[in-house]
Amino acid sequence: MTGVVSYLVFFACVVLILGIVTLGLNLQWGFTGLFNAGVAGFYAIGAFTHAILTAAPQPQYLGNFGLPWIVGVVAAMAATAAAAWLVGVLTIRLRGDYLAIASFGIAVSIQLVTLNWEALTGGSQGITRIPKPLAGVFDTPLAFNLWYLALLAAIVGALYVALERIVRSPWGRVLRAIREDEAAAIALGKSARRYRLEAFVLGSTMMGLAGALYASFIGFVSAFDFLPIVTFQVWAMLIVGGSGNNRGALLGTFVVWGIWTASGALVTKLVPPTYAAQGAAVQVILIGLLLVLTLLFRPQGLIGEEAVVSRHAKD
Amino acid sequence: MVATPRKSVAFAVAAVGLLCAGTTSAQVACPVKIGGVLPLTGSMAPITKKIAQAAELAIEHINQGGGIKGCPVQFILRDDQGQPTVGVDAAKYLVEVERVAAFTGTISSGITGPIISSVTAPSRVVQITCCSTASAFTLDGRSGGYFFRTIPTSKTQAYATATETARRGFKRTAVIYVNTDFGTDMLRFYRQAVAKLGGDIVVEVPYNDNQPSYRAEVTRALAAKPESLLLIGFPKDAVTIVREWLSLGGPRQVALNNSMRTMDFVNGVGARFVEDFFGMDNAQVAGPHVDAFNRLFEEKYKADTKGPGIHTQYDAVMVLGLAMNIAKDLTGPSIRDAVRQVHAPNGTVVGTGPAEFRKALELIRAGRPIKYHGATGPIEFDANGDVTGPALVWRITNGQIVTDRVISIEEMQALFKRIDG
Repeated sequence: MTGVVSYLVFFACVVLILGIVTLGLNLQWGFTGLFNAGVAGFYAIGAFTHAILTAAPQPQYLGNFGLPWIVGVVAAMAATAAAAWLVGVLTIRLRGDYLAIASFGIAVSIQLVTLNWEALTGGSQGITRIPKPLAGVFDTPLAFNLWYLALLAAIVGALYVALERIVRSPWGRVLRAIREDEAAAIALGKSARRYRLEAFVLGSTMMGLAGALYASFIGFVSAFDFLPIVTFQVWAMLIVGGSGNNRGALLGTFVVWGIWTASGALVTKLVPPTYAAQGAAVQVILIGLLLVLTLLFRPQGLIGEEAVVSRHAKD
Repeated sequence: MVATPRKSVAFAVAAVGLLCAGTTSAQVACPVKIGGVLPLTGSMAPITKKIAQAAELAIEHINQGGGIKGCPVQFILRDDQGQPTVGVDAAKYLVEVERVAAFTGTISSGITGPIISSVTAPSRVVQITCCSTASAFTLDGRSGGYFFRTIPTSKTQAYATATETARRGFKRTAVIYVNTDFGTDMLRFYRQAVAKLGGDIVVEVPYNDNQPSYRAEVTRALAAKPESLLLIGFPKDAVTIVREWLSLGGPRQVALNNSMRTMDFVNGVGARFVEDFFGMDNAQVAGPHVDAFNRLFEEKYKADTKGPGIHTQYDAVMVLGLAMNIAKDLTGPSIRDAVRQVHAPNGTVVGTGPAEFRKALELIRAGRPIKYHGATGPIEFDANGDVTGPALVWRITNGQIVTDRVISIEEMQALFKRIDG
């Protein structure tokens, strides 16, 4: 029984970490209409910045400064924000598919840099010895995961409240105006470019934060953590949950990651071990099927967007 | 009250269950579970099929040979899809929900790493991988001794190279190496070995593969006025590098790594230019136990045993099976310590297949030490949980690649002890 609890706590931690990424993408795509296909890249910058700053020193690496956890988290957000601003300035005038291709290319480049810049990122060896916060106090796996879950819940809760306020604020309404009709928004005197850049940087910073939280949860990062499939997963989470709705983003993360992992457990229960390879293929089909069915029957996502968010308009 | 038939059946079943429990050692619940994670789908899937079959074959042999502590073994294999988060989740599920007593997996170092750091090491579950070679796992000291691998790391080759260069009196060596985990690991271990065995490195030059010219790298290496060269890389680039090295007047005392043991390299540079160049390779151990495994695998799956990871995966599971029988109970620390008794110095040799496993169990029950000779030869783990393998020295003579000598596994193990202390 404790085993099941222990697993569910671990699962919930992963959901909340990925949930932060999905919330970030929701701000970019759901509210502003920015097609960011480079999610994994910003996630990677956050994770590696954190790892490089906080990991225990090792002679063969340039980084690994052994700094405190909170320094790593703040720096990860700062580094991701800086990177997103740079990328944003260069690409933000690109729309739709063009931005998607550019950001996808950037994410792949970032992943390749992390794979090859051995002295800094450990290359294909990855960075080990990333300290887990307060691991000395919570010294069993379950105790540590429970503490980390509480920490993550607090962070996600704070982010959710902040995002809900932001999207209901005048600033948030401008984002939606730009998404719906950019020309009209500009005609009303709003600088679409500035708002788009701000939303892009803010959303990416959240991805960087999630990367840092992931690195210190697992205790190990390598370039293999940031393959393009991660971007795809986060997109699936947002679309299934309901793009343009923060609760939808979180629900989608839970549902998609739940399907992804539970299908694996289910397949091993149903399929005899000699057919494990075939069973694994069935699992992949199952994941795809469930995603397609959700989109067919709930095209707006499990929780759709609220049409009216302004409290003035509601009155 | 008269028991209804259904109740008597239930009673009989319970009684049989109690009898079974009585014959096994205390606190062991049947069946004993071993968990595995392998990339059954994704880019690694083509090579994983046979690796998974090798694992299942080992489980079958353990069960036919008497199981673990009198219990049958159940193998639960999950897919990591080539994705770290998926692999970690599967491993966590196996350890927490399925309560597996031991774990094997996986192939990609990028997935094995997070499984060690977030699942097996914190939960104190023994993990043996068939295929992940990244040296960082065993060197960082964070696995708590719960991580082992049955595949020789690049250390074997690097140490063998160092003995050979020392024997041939290499001085002032320049090292040119490919900038990958393989190249950097080789260099790091070579450096360690040279410090103990003799010789000195004057310059270390990394290179990126697939460049049209390596003149810059070669010039940089030559500027340190080396008297010999160790080249670690892949044949296509090595041809270019050696040509430039020789044309710029580099010394002709050259050592190579295993990838250059191909006629493409010899003919690429020109046979007369590479006379007496030499290199290393891992030598596949031969012998009855290796043959026995090959035969059993071929009979069962109607496929040959060529391909990576098949022999090492079989050994990974067999080592778990033996260690779990040796261990006084099935807790992580006991199994961890027992893994090191699978190859006792004065033990009786046991090999592959169900009959040999049964023989091992009899020895263990009699309290006698065993010495496992697996599908990859004798399996003995060093302090880091790594294995050594035999190596061979080859050289180029009259345009042909010939085997110079074989460094036996016993010699390699002695060498490891000498260098690592």
